[in-house]
Amino acid sequence: MTHLDSELRILKSDILEMWRLVVGQLEKGKEALTNFDRDLAEEVVENEKRVNSYELKIDKDCENIFALFQPVATDLRLVLASLKISNNLERVGDIAASVADFVLDAQQDFNKEILERTKILEMYGIANEMLADTLEAFDSEDTRLARTMFKRDKMLDKIDDEALDLVYDCIKAYPEQARNTLLVMSMIRKLERVGDMSKNIAEEIIFYFEAKVLKHKKKKQKEGDE
Amino acid sequence: MANKLETIDVHLHYGEFHALKGISLAIPDHSVTALIGPSGCGKSTYLRLFNRMNDLIPYTKITGQVLMDGEDIYKIKSSKIDHLRRTVGMVFQKPNPFPKSIFENVAYGLRVNGISDNSFIENQVEKTLRQAALWEEVKDKLKKSAFELSGGQQQRLCIARALAIEPTVILMDEPASALDPISTGKIEDLIFELKDQYTIIIVTHNMQQAGRVSDYTGFFYLGNLIEFDKTKKIFTNPSKQETENYITGRFG
Amino acid sequence: MEFPESNERRKKLGQAIMFGLSRGISYGIVALLFLILFFIVKQGIGVINWEFLTAMPTDGMTKGGIWPAIVGTVYLVLGSMLFAFPVGVMAGIYVNEYAVAGPVKRFVKMMTNNLAGVPSIIFGLFGMALFVNQMGFGASILAGSLTLGLLALPIVIRTTEEALKSVDDTFRQASYALGGSKLYTIRKVVLPIALPNILTGLILAVGRVSGETAPILFTVAAYFLPKLPSSIMDQAMALPYHLYVISTSGTQIEASRPMAYGTAFVLVVIVLIVNIAAALLRNYFGKKVKMN
Repeated sequence: MTHLDSELRILKSDILEMWRLVVGQLEKGKEALTNFDRDLAEEVVENEKRVNSYELKIDKDCENIFALFQPVATDLRLVLASLKISNNLERVGDIAASVADFVLDAQQDFNKEILERTKILEMYGIANEMLADTLEAFDSEDTRLARTMFKRDKMLDKIDDEALDLVYDCIKAYPEQARNTLLVMSMIRKLERVGDMSKNIAEEIIFYFEAKVLKHKKKKQKEGDE
Repeated sequence: MANKLETIDVHLHYGEFHALKGISLAIPDHSVTALIGPSGCGKSTYLRLFNRMNDLIPYTKITGQVLMDGEDIYKIKSSKIDHLRRTVGMVFQKPNPFPKSIFENVAYGLRVNGISDNSFIENQVEKTLRQAALWEEVKDKLKKSAFELSGGQQQRLCIARALAIEPTVILMDEPASALDPISTGKIEDLIFELKDQYTIIIVTHNMQQAGRVSDYTGFFYLGNLIEFDKTKKIFTNPSKQETENYITGRFG
Repeated sequence: MEFPESNERRKKLGQAIMFGLSRGISYGIVALLFLILFFIVKQGIGVINWEFLTAMPTDGMTKGGIWPAIVGTVYLVLGSMLFAFPVGVMAGIYVNEYAVAGPVKRFVKMMTNNLAGVPSIIFGLFGMALFVNQMGFGASILAGSLTLGLLALPIVIRTTEEALKSVDDTFRQASYALGGSKLYTIRKVVLPIALPNILTGLILAVGRVSGETAPILFTVAAYFLPKLPSSIMDQAMALPYHLYVISTSGTQIEASRPMAYGTAFVLVVIVLIVNIAAALLRNYFGKKVKMN
């Protein structure tokens, strides 16, 4: 194994660790919301520092690889993709932390009915699965799986579009939970972004493995490649 | 990490020419240190301090201390110089195998130093050729002339020749500058492998090579050591403007 | 920018003239060489037969053969090389490997060059004074060989020195770096690499020695001997001197003219054979150096 190979292996393992951490953050956030587990929410907020330090480490890894090894072709794409993936993961980490913050902000348990009717848990589930699948796609070089992100993101968009009316209905139905329902609304707006980030990550995965640039392409073209 | 080699305020004159101007530098054990700088900056001269190769050039005057494992190698008895050179292997710019068979090239250092036990020599030759990642390529033609090997193979043979007498320090003077990119890559991989067991100093004109193989980098200019630091630091954020200018190619 | 067409034509013409001239001269020299060879072969081949090569000269050297001269020349060449080669190589090693750069080394080198420029007749006189008279060898193969050896010495020294100089210094350094001493390094690394080029020096020296007349004039050469030399203290005949004698100072110059051409022919052939042998030897060592 060459020196560069061993550096790239370290980079890859760093990015996978960060990925798993962020996926875990989202899952814990969902659990904290479902069970109104303030300790778990606290843990998620606390863990955000770890996510940030991973991003810094990966930035440093990439900087060194560029400076010392002048990577080309697939090596170059890996380093470029890693930079952007870690950047997106860090933002997903931020989202997980702010959702957990909303949970901590709530002064009473979330009404199960509200969580059901606003589709926040369904949305959370989809977002978690998307991010977990980008990890799977990267790890097993599965660009087909990566391409499913473009369709799955639409489900999140749909829930996000419907959210205003659903939240309005819930507030009318459970006025004593109005504050919590508004917190849910904020969470939905945040979680919608996870879909966009998963899409960005999917584009980087495809760029890395297939050297195709999908950014700013029409949806047809992206999915047409399937 | 302990310092294997250290120089303290070393000045070197070739006659009137002041080649090294007070170099103080500590080189850690089991690491690769790259010396970079424009031609004539003193980096090769500095390298040759450590096996006293500069002594061979007439009218050379050296002051200051050159320490190996804490001992000043310029204070040892002249009868111990051969012993010093045994502990310091050297690889040169052009591959220079001796006009002998592949086997005898590697065995040379053992024979020079009076070892005549053939089975020991055979074992040592095989072990060293494996270390130099050359064994698989030459095991069926050990009796053939070393000149039949390609340039890259010859250079790995020269590395094996240096390793055979089990030095602790290896000095490399532009070891890949006469080789094609593939052979260069193999030499660089080899250097990376060897640093676990040896302290390696490599002089190179190729800055990318310094980046790829070394842990530490020293930048020499006009006989001065301008900057010495971790290679990562030098190549991402050097402290001195001269270093930055040199590694970015804005020199002059 | 417009470049004038005439300039191109002038450049072409200049090239053609210069190139044509140097080609003509080099072909001319080769032609001249062949002309000389052709002349000698044409004039000499007629008298070459088994008897000419193996018989003693008879009838005031107008008849018979040149066998003793051939034998004498071979002895002298071998003898002189036996002396000049080891001495010259050792001197060359000293000058290039051991002598420290400075006035002494410069002086030695200068004197070696001067020695090469000394006229061969002076060597002859010196040889006579030292070997024949002073050391009491008399006119003998020994005295002649030593004199010829002295003549060849500068050539051997110079080529040895050049051959050693052309050995890349990193070979020596690599050996020192492995703990090799200077002597060991010269013996095991430097000399094997330089050997083919040193042998070239030997070839040149043999060529020079086998054709010389003046140094053997006073030290060994006999006008005529009825028998072959039996020891190194005997006088001997030699081809170049024999040639000189029968073409200038014989009693019947005209009658021995064909014998003279035959002798010249044999001398040329011997030099040729020596050269080829040396070249083969050199090739062989060149390979061996790589094979060992």
